[in-house]
Amino acid sequence: MSEHGHERRSDEIAAFLLGALEPGEAAELERHLAGCEECRTELEWLRPAVQLLPESVERVEAPPELRESLMTQVRAEAKTEAEAAAHAPRRERGLLRGWVLRPATGLAVLALVVAAVGAFAIAGGGSSGGKTTTTFTGHSPGVTAEMVSSGGSGTLHLANLHQLPSDKVLQAWVERDGRVVSAKTLFVPNQDGTASATIDDMEGVKTVMVTAEPRGGSVQPTSPPIVSVSIPQ
Amino acid sequence: MRASKAERLADEELMPLIGEKNPDAFEVFYDRHGGVAYSLAYRIVGERGAAEDVTQEAFISIWRSGARYDAARGSVRTWMLGIVRNRAIDFLRSKAGRAPKLDFDDDSILEHRPAAELTDSEALRRETAEEVRGALDELPGEQAKVIQLAYFGGFSHSEIAGMLGVPLGTVKGRMRLGLEKIRGELAEGLT
Repeated sequence: MSEHGHERRSDEIAAFLLGALEPGEAAELERHLAGCEECRTELEWLRPAVQLLPESVERVEAPPELRESLMTQVRAEAKTEAEAAAHAPRRERGLLRGWVLRPATGLAVLALVVAAVGAFAIAGGGSSGGKTTTTFTGHSPGVTAEMVSSGGSGTLHLANLHQLPSDKVLQAWVERDGRVVSAKTLFVPNQDGTASATIDDMEGVKTVMVTAEPRGGSVQPTSPPIVSVSIPQ
Repeated sequence: MRASKAERLADEELMPLIGEKNPDAFEVFYDRHGGVAYSLAYRIVGERGAAEDVTQEAFISIWRSGARYDAARGSVRTWMLGIVRNRAIDFLRSKAGRAPKLDFDDDSILEHRPAAELTDSEALRRETAEEVRGALDELPGEQAKVIQLAYFGGFSHSEIAGMLGVPLGTVKGRMRLGLEKIRGELAEGLT
């Protein structure tokens, strides 16, 4: 590459590190970097200058309430997970009694019919060991839902979600006896687009839904479901 | 694990514990980095309430995905600050008519942590922070501005070019020159 060409790439590397390239430009530069050791070396040399920029920020005391709120949520989630792990064998038996070995239904009931409300179409899926993975197409292309159910509770694992605005959270809902109520589960997608929601009480639940709601949650759904999972009875 | 034991662990040793949903390890992690995370979020979004939301979301994301930290991609602190920055920029972009803060010397930021009771690592970070601030202060204003607009404002180079009324190439060139100078100033401590 000419000297001028490399200078242009150097400019782009700086903009890339600052997150200032347009997506298409960033993708093109990444392709170039894959085959240009000189540019990769320059990228790695320059990277610390950007990584240390946050350290230049004047320190502001974080409010104690933030720590308190964060740790309350974290300890509650840790407790829930610990309890779930402690009861896993019992729940497994419950699963077998309740769903797998129900005489009239047999293995077929393992398949949790996952369907997005409205125009979602099931694109693929399968089941194994009490899990069913189904990929949707439609309003949320690429979103994958995996429902791991056990006797009294269930966990909905979602993937390929878009990040939410900071004033929004995901909220899980259950339909039981014709009424839709909050499952008291608020959550947000992880950086990689995955998210999980634990439904503590699956007794009598016919459908599990997830909607985007304002922070703090809503009493009733205020937006169309991102996914809706029908639970076989 | 008791918190006192977790306090003796390096960040890289805490991450697997956080991945195992150990709240004591997470608490230590927050106590180490929550301050800079909140400061960065506040620097970007410019509102205390929004900075709290951004910081909380970022740390919850880390709590739920701690096991995915990849040491090959930098320090835990760098990884964490990248998450905070991305969340904060997402917040700005979600707001109509966003107005990022552009100044480094914000008179409203008065609540500095006391200098006393700094651990060695905190003191080192303070020193690093001073070096980075010093390097930024040394930059020509036009170079500092494009870096601030991009990193703390989340603007693309084409948006910056439009705002400043200069060609795209000029914006990218200023970014490169500015970062090279910062890198040069820091080179002794980084190599």
